[in-house]
Amino acid sequence: MTEATFPQCRIITERLLNPETTEKLLNKVVSVAGVRRMVLNGPRLPATIPYGPAKGQANPHPMRKTIHVGDQEVPLQVHVGTVLLELENRDVVPALQAAIEPVFTNFSFRIQEGRYMKTEPSLVDYCKYGPNADKSLLGLADPSSKSKPIILQGIK
Amino acid sequence: MAYKPQYCAGQSIVADNRRKAMDPNHKLSKLRDVTDKDIVLIMGHRAPGSAYKSAHPPLSEQQEPACPVRKMVTPTDGAKAGDRVRYIQFADSMYNAPCQPYLRSYLEAYRFRGIDPGTLSGRQIIECRERDLEKYAKDLVNTELFDPALCGIRGATVHGHSLRLDENGMMFDMLQRCVLDKKAGIVKYVKNQIGEPLDTEVKVGKPMDSKWLKANTTIYHSLVGSAYRDDAEAIEYIQRIHGLRVKYGFMPKEA
Repeated sequence: MTEATFPQCRIITERLLNPETTEKLLNKVVSVAGVRRMVLNGPRLPATIPYGPAKGQANPHPMRKTIHVGDQEVPLQVHVGTVLLELENRDVVPALQAAIEPVFTNFSFRIQEGRYMKTEPSLVDYCKYGPNADKSLLGLADPSSKSKPIILQGIK
Repeated sequence: MAYKPQYCAGQSIVADNRRKAMDPNHKLSKLRDVTDKDIVLIMGHRAPGSAYKSAHPPLSEQQEPACPVRKMVTPTDGAKAGDRVRYIQFADSMYNAPCQPYLRSYLEAYRFRGIDPGTLSGRQIIECRERDLEKYAKDLVNTELFDPALCGIRGATVHGHSLRLDENGMMFDMLQRCVLDKKAGIVKYVKNQIGEPLDTEVKVGKPMDSKWLKANTTIYHSLVGSAYRDDAEAIEYIQRIHGLRVKYGFMPKEA
């Protein structure tokens, strides 16, 4: 279980982000010391059309790209609209604000503090991961998802 | 005095635009020239130039029962020929799109014949005989009722109405049927309305600028356009309707 004492915040932007802007933003976030975990939220961009008359056909989409964050390749699966963050402490927020400000030149953004990620394992988490779940995974992805989190080497 | 329809209440520019859209005597200005072939390609019901498939023989070839209503109502071209029923569906962004699902159904009922509109919160479908549909669809796409960036022709997977726009100002589309050509500044359909790739791109023109959209939108939005609460007449009207509906069971009598 995640320590409930870790503060969380989210970055909300006025527009959904292009992959290039997401890459710029995440690289700025990675450069700030004290970010523990991060979730990219937004409407999903599947590789194949999941339903409807064209089900099963390839779904080429200009917003679904692989971006380079820190030292890792991150294949985007969503059109990023919100970035959820878990921080070491609340002092990170002003540093984060200052770091990402230069990214948003054409539209605005906000950082909000609150509780956005799961902090207790749900029943589904228990079914998927069992009683000895890796605590760092909880709340990062839908338990039914087969994708695994990407570990970025941050600064500490 | 002859009855003069008022179409909808409100003193704001949004209400005015709604009245204009619904009034069949108001001629909608033509803003772009998407051809018949292009419309057929985007809808994807038949190959351009191919014959219309029929659901029944033409009316002239079949014996119709003696019916006073049938004598009174002139059939549309599609009904006369026995065309099958097909559809076009639009999704409209709430960020100042020039048309909205509810309004679409209203205006189509006022302006078109032989249609079956279906209205949902973020999308609207219109069903009718195929050749009538192509005529109506052309009107809906070529006039001020359409914006290439904020209105999408989407048969399936329509999500996008209430989402933030992307950085290019386009409404979210999971299937990305239309893309913005940044160099030319125009929007091109690369897939038909159900998401099957098109052999040739269909150009639907430039997205309208934000000033035009704000002046021509038919949706209230407190952040990017006109706020609903600023329109006193619309509020008064909706409150009256709401009050009467709530009190209906108690036999309301207006003073």
